[in-house]
Amino acid sequence: MITVNGIHVTFGRGTPLEKHALRGVDLTIPEGQFVTVIGSNGAGKSTFLGALAGDVIAETGSIAIDGVDVTRWATPKRASLVARVFQDPMVGSCTALTIEENMALAAARGRRRGLGFALRGDRRRHFRDRIAELGLGLENRLHDRMGLLSGGQRQAVSLLMATLAGSKILLLDEHTAALDPGTAEFVLGLTRRIVEENRLTTLMVTHSMRQALDYGDRTVMLHEGRIVLDVSGEQRAGLDVPHLLALFAKQRGGEDITDDSLLIG
Amino acid sequence: MSEIAFFGAVEIGLVYALVALGVYLSFRVLDFPDLTVDGSFPLGAAVCATLLVAGVNPWIASLVAALAGSLAGLVTATLNVRFKILHLLASILTMIALFSVNLRVMGRPNVALLMQDTVLTPFYGLGLADHVVRPLVVLVVVVAVVLLLARFLNSEFGLAMRATGVNARMARAQGVETDFHTYTGMALSNGLCALAGALFAQTNGFADVTTGIGTIVVGLAAVIVGETVLPARAMLWALVGCVVGSILYRLAVQVALSADAIGLQASDLNLVTAVLVAVALILPRMRLKAASKKREAAR
Ligand SMILES: Nc1ncnc2c1ncn2[C@@H]1O[C@H](COP(=O)(O)OP(=O)(O)OP(=O)(O)O)[C@@H](O)[C@H]1O
Ligand SMILES: [Mg+2]
Repeated sequence: MITVNGIHVTFGRGTPLEKHALRGVDLTIPEGQFVTVIGSNGAGKSTFLGALAGDVIAETGSIAIDGVDVTRWATPKRASLVARVFQDPMVGSCTALTIEENMALAAARGRRRGLGFALRGDRRRHFRDRIAELGLGLENRLHDRMGLLSGGQRQAVSLLMATLAGSKILLLDEHTAALDPGTAEFVLGLTRRIVEENRLTTLMVTHSMRQALDYGDRTVMLHEGRIVLDVSGEQRAGLDVPHLLALFAKQRGGEDITDDSLLIG
Repeated sequence: MSEIAFFGAVEIGLVYALVALGVYLSFRVLDFPDLTVDGSFPLGAAVCATLLVAGVNPWIASLVAALAGSLAGLVTATLNVRFKILHLLASILTMIALFSVNLRVMGRPNVALLMQDTVLTPFYGLGLADHVVRPLVVLVVVVAVVLLLARFLNSEFGLAMRATGVNARMARAQGVETDFHTYTGMALSNGLCALAGALFAQTNGFADVTTGIGTIVVGLAAVIVGETVLPARAMLWALVGCVVGSILYRLAVQVALSADAIGLQASDLNLVTAVLVAVALILPRMRLKAASKKREAAR
């Protein structure tokens, strides 16, 4: 359960580059709901996810996760509640560490890290079993550096890492944008499976209208730092991509969007 | 090279191995280019020598020296983490300040340890020659430090520290308090360098404010030599590499200095080291360039 109340975020306040990126976002997401987030470049999607994760602190308004007010919590503290996968596979993992070291790091998310060995025999076996589930043959490469994996493999492992420690919400920021269509499909399928198995409350940012409607149970559209569309249930089931595009165009003041990246899919 | 010169080189190599381990922690593990070392090494020597002259137990004096070094590391880390001063500049500020601090600690530019007991005293007169005893005692300390450090870096806490250096953004997303790990790592790193200073003072019988100059470059040289001769990824072997690198570096210097044909003097050491580190930093890049040129030519 996520409750967001009127949050505002401004970057570079008082400078010529001042940017009011979030202008009063209200959103309540019940436990276990899978929300897809769309919006044009610069709409504030990443900023919104960053505000949920603690990377950016909201100036006004409040954020509660499972009833706990986390508005002032920094990223590491929120990590016990929030798991995330980034758009850039390089950002979401430690390329210089091995796959199992990355997994050990993620498995301790939200726990105190002590002086016990990070990689004990039973943990190694557990990691091996979990990574085998991906069906990518990575169980024999646990000692390889993360940087040796392809982007798709790394995103798959990042998703798996997000589930190694319990968390309340999962944030996915265009996590398939850097992948080829086939791999993106695979990672999305994996996403769906992991979200269902772990009953995670999920927000997924995407630029594909198709994905936005095909995945999850609710779609919200951000525009200039505000939520301008919020559909779920039957209303959403009745929507198809052209509809959504039309709604989108209307929000943008009817301007022509044929050159917009949103037309993908 | 005479036997005494050989053991002397090994001894000084082992003392500086502690510096190399500290530099490995800051430069490699935390990715924090830290020049505080040039101040924390003589700080360790100064604190230890002053305490020994005051009659303090040598092991306690060495420990206090290490703690003083940790404090210096914390100052640099605070300037960087809390006040956002660029790491290099933050560490230079601490280093410069330490020069004055070290003079204050000793009350004069140098302190001689002539009659004072040191950590080595109990081991002299056990039948081994003094020039063999010294490297042996330092070796025991170094081995203990390597084992403890490897154990630490393989722990959950240590892994989080390594992640802090590799990808702080990801580490924070995984719940790692990256600031805290930076403080801890910097304290540990400079504590080791100060411990090296304390051993230096005890094996050489003096502490001098000028001994710190170039320490960072020597430490870095040892790390680089170690990585070249022992390119390992397992933590323990990477640390052993630092120690081996430090000893090899000293032996190479000893050979260079004792070869009359080259005509080098002891005072040329810093120049030689700087050139060596520069070459070691340039070589991999040249090799990359050469490789990509070859590939282009093949196309
Ligand atoms: N750290 C920052 N400093 C200054 N401005 C920023 C920062 N982060 C984002 N912005 C600005 O805030 C606005 C919203 O950015 P955000 O990254 O949230 O957009 P987005 O919806 O994720 O876009 P995209 O689809 O391109 O990823 C943009 O105008 C961006 O330039
Ligand atoms: Mg974005």
